[in-house]
Amino acid sequence: MSSLLYIIFQIIVFILLAPLVNGIIKKIKALTQKRKGAPLLQLYFDIFKLLKKDVVVSDTTSWIFRATPYIVLSTALAGAVLVPVIICNSHTGFVGDAILLAYLLALGRFFMTLSGLDAGSTFGGMGSSREVMISALIEPSLIITIFTAGLIAKSTSVFDMMSTAAGNGGIFSNPIYIFLFLTVFIIILAETSRIPVDDPATHLELTMVHEAMILEYSGRHLAMMELAASVKQLIYISLLVNMFLPSVDVTVGGGLLPTVAVSLLVYIAKVIGTAIIVAVAEVSTVKLKLFSVPNLAALSFILAFIGFVQYFVIGR
Amino acid sequence: MIDTVFLIRLIVGLYIAAALTALFFFRREKYANIIPNAICILASVTGITAALAFLLGHSDRLVIFKFDVPAPFVSIQMQLDSLSAIFLLTLSILVLCVSIYSIGYLTHYYQKRNVGLFNFLYSTFILSMLFVFTAGNMVFFFIVWEIMSLTSYFLVVFESDHKENQKAGTIYIVMMHVGAAVLLMAFMLLYSYTGSFDIFANHGALPGLVKNIVFVLLLIGFGTKAGIIPLHIWLPYAHPAAASNVSALMSGIMIKTAIYGLIRFVAGYLGIHSLWWGIAILVLGMVSTVLGVAYALMEHNIKRLLAYHSIENIGIILIGLGVSFIAFAQGNMVLFSLALMASLFHTFNHAVFKGGLFLGAGSIQYSTHTKNIEELGGLIKVMPYTSVFMLFFSLAICAIVPFNGFVSEWMTYQSLFMNIQPGYSGLNVVTIFSAAALAIAGALALACFVKLYGISFLGLPRSEKSKTAKEVPIVMRAGMAVLAGICLVIGLFPFLITRLLDGVSSGIGGTSIFDSLKGKLSFVYYPMKISDSSIMPVGAVILIAAAVIMILVFARFIGGKLKTRKYNTWDCGYEALNSRMQYSATGFSKPIRIVFRILYRPGRVLKVEEGASPYYPVSMKYDVSTQKVFEKYMYYPLAGFFKRFSRRLKFIIQTGSVHTYLLYIFLAILALMFYNSITK
Repeated sequence: MSSLLYIIFQIIVFILLAPLVNGIIKKIKALTQKRKGAPLLQLYFDIFKLLKKDVVVSDTTSWIFRATPYIVLSTALAGAVLVPVIICNSHTGFVGDAILLAYLLALGRFFMTLSGLDAGSTFGGMGSSREVMISALIEPSLIITIFTAGLIAKSTSVFDMMSTAAGNGGIFSNPIYIFLFLTVFIIILAETSRIPVDDPATHLELTMVHEAMILEYSGRHLAMMELAASVKQLIYISLLVNMFLPSVDVTVGGGLLPTVAVSLLVYIAKVIGTAIIVAVAEVSTVKLKLFSVPNLAALSFILAFIGFVQYFVIGR
Repeated sequence: MIDTVFLIRLIVGLYIAAALTALFFFRREKYANIIPNAICILASVTGITAALAFLLGHSDRLVIFKFDVPAPFVSIQMQLDSLSAIFLLTLSILVLCVSIYSIGYLTHYYQKRNVGLFNFLYSTFILSMLFVFTAGNMVFFFIVWEIMSLTSYFLVVFESDHKENQKAGTIYIVMMHVGAAVLLMAFMLLYSYTGSFDIFANHGALPGLVKNIVFVLLLIGFGTKAGIIPLHIWLPYAHPAAASNVSALMSGIMIKTAIYGLIRFVAGYLGIHSLWWGIAILVLGMVSTVLGVAYALMEHNIKRLLAYHSIENIGIILIGLGVSFIAFAQGNMVLFSLALMASLFHTFNHAVFKGGLFLGAGSIQYSTHTKNIEELGGLIKVMPYTSVFMLFFSLAICAIVPFNGFVSEWMTYQSLFMNIQPGYSGLNVVTIFSAAALAIAGALALACFVKLYGISFLGLPRSEKSKTAKEVPIVMRAGMAVLAGICLVIGLFPFLITRLLDGVSSGIGGTSIFDSLKGKLSFVYYPMKISDSSIMPVGAVILIAAAVIMILVFARFIGGKLKTRKYNTWDCGYEALNSRMQYSATGFSKPIRIVFRILYRPGRVLKVEEGASPYYPVSMKYDVSTQKVFEKYMYYPLAGFFKRFSRRLKFIIQTGSVHTYLLYIFLAILALMFYNSITK
């Protein structure tokens, strides 16, 4: 029963918080450009409105195109269940560890890239082709990060990694976490189509990756794809903040409800902080040429590898 | 109680019967097709029964039969232990599905080729693999190994009127015999030190140096069969040349005979002697994994693409095997069992999904008559069943969650994770790079199968061939359906296989880890648990299904009934979108070709025929090529060297004069007599 409550809690937090992160990033970008910008909650309004709209489907497409929004959103939500927002008991850890999480999100990516090719337009194929390249480049650093954080926690389970890190204060106590933090930050920029890699704001074919893949989607399908993208972004951000930044350890505290409330507030504060950092990174860099992305990926790989080697120097 | 010995003898008899009936009916194509395949189906069902009965019941080795031949050293001996049984199970499952498929597939040979001869070779090929997995004597092993290579050679060149098939066959047979020669050296060396060709006899300790030499010889010998890079060059030629049902067997199970050989002879016979053996296998596995998938991405011939993926998956199997050998050398028997289990599990899984992929490729070829994915497109509409099966196999090979490939790759990751220990830091770096290699190979495999599936099944048809394609006959669909079902069921319930594999690893290493794999939930075997990390694919599927239901309900609640409108694909207002404007397979892999240009050394040729103005060319031709680095920088120079060497030698030794040759014979006899008089 508590597992079921926990799953519902996780999904509600993710669905409610994920679009807000996009809102914050957009707002900060607008403010730095001396614009007023869209309201913080704009993405909620968009999704709500799009859900009510009809769907236009190309007659070239097959069932894959229509199934993809459901698969992408449901794998993102299933992934969200595996990433605890507050570090209490591991209720769903038995379903999968960090490696399963990575391959679960790959299921969504597989269908999303296929749907890009399904309509027979050039844009979709371009987006898919770039997406698979970027994800292939970023994957090794993700695995090394999981292994290194896992070595410290002695397991690759997401919950164990988080509670170990939370127990000893994250990046403020262990220098390995600093390198891993930077690696995961680069992974976030690459995987959630942020500026040095992709530009979420434009529809110019020279720059688009994610937007090109979902170009054919409309109405309810588009709402699902947008929500899925923001949930996926929050999954990565949650991994970052709960694994490397200090957290409130719920298992120690007194009453259940106050500690849950406090740690949830701490979590939200950390997520908002990260969103601000992402926004600052976006406004202060320019989009890289597509074929400079390997350099960024190499940087993240090297950072992760230094973190790994450091584990043997420091030994914990 | 099932009598396993009787069943195995029955299987041998059935395959012989299948081969003979195929020859007997060679004038009546229909009989020559259906009867031998039906007998093969019967034999494989018997094989599955026998293997399961043995794995669930016995644990001791069974001798099936043993004839002592008057010739020295040789005894025809067939035995079954749990390692043989697991390979017998894999072989039988694959043969079952492939034989069902063949009944439909071979109809396209009617009136064109000799179906009886084909099925004779096919049955003999399967029988020889059965003997390889159960041989108890090295000479017998070598003989059936050769029969396996030769029958598969004849199957590769079966459509011998195509010139490229002859070339493929030549490369194949040369590589196989280089491997076999090296293997024979290893066996003879073992004989000269132990005085016996028995695979199972206990020979006491061999000197360390001999063990090292034998290991290197075995690695090269089996490595050519497995297609380890840089000995892989025959695979991309042989698979496109062979018929698809043969490719499925060759890639699904024949190259695994090498894995069987490595486990049997290195772990079982020699006993792992030093740490570097495991490290060597791990490094070779890592290189094969990454380069295999990287070359696969550049291929547009569907079967050659799959052949390169076999190299990748052999790499993954070898990573598991390497870790298990390292653990054996260090005395860490728990890790040995786990890694060996991961490696054998991936062997099984690869047989299932790669067999399926080759059958799917065969179906595409059957109905479109092309292997080039650039000419395909939109097949999902005309081949709905095949497209679903291919989607299953593609997801399985990319190790995506609820399918079988994921579980074995996860076990490989966990073995690598457990292989990182404080202290051995050089080993740790190799291990983490292997994990990174596995990760990038997984992501590139995803890219490759999105390309394969997206270009050939989705979008608009790119040629008349794919527009007019039809769904394949029901028997062919049935063969693929069974394999697709196994992919999903094993992915959801991995314990069905791991409990069988535990007998193998505990048989060699002496440590059973099956009980520690079981999680603490009340479900019988769930979740699968290794060192505090656990996975439960069924749980993930339940989560996904629950999420889908939630989304449907939620969307319905907010937006009401979904109204769908059909319209054209967005064409920027141009209104003349055609199939040539879609992304092509070459275009799809271009970013990766540019990023890894150091690996591919791509070249391109653009030919423009200008019209009235340079802006309106009459025709344009664009050619992209990638170099076969290993052939260019390793095999061609080597071949050139041998050519020059033998030409020079011709004038020194082979003068063409009979007198000189008589002198050679005389000297040889003298030398042998001299050698004999010393050693006696």
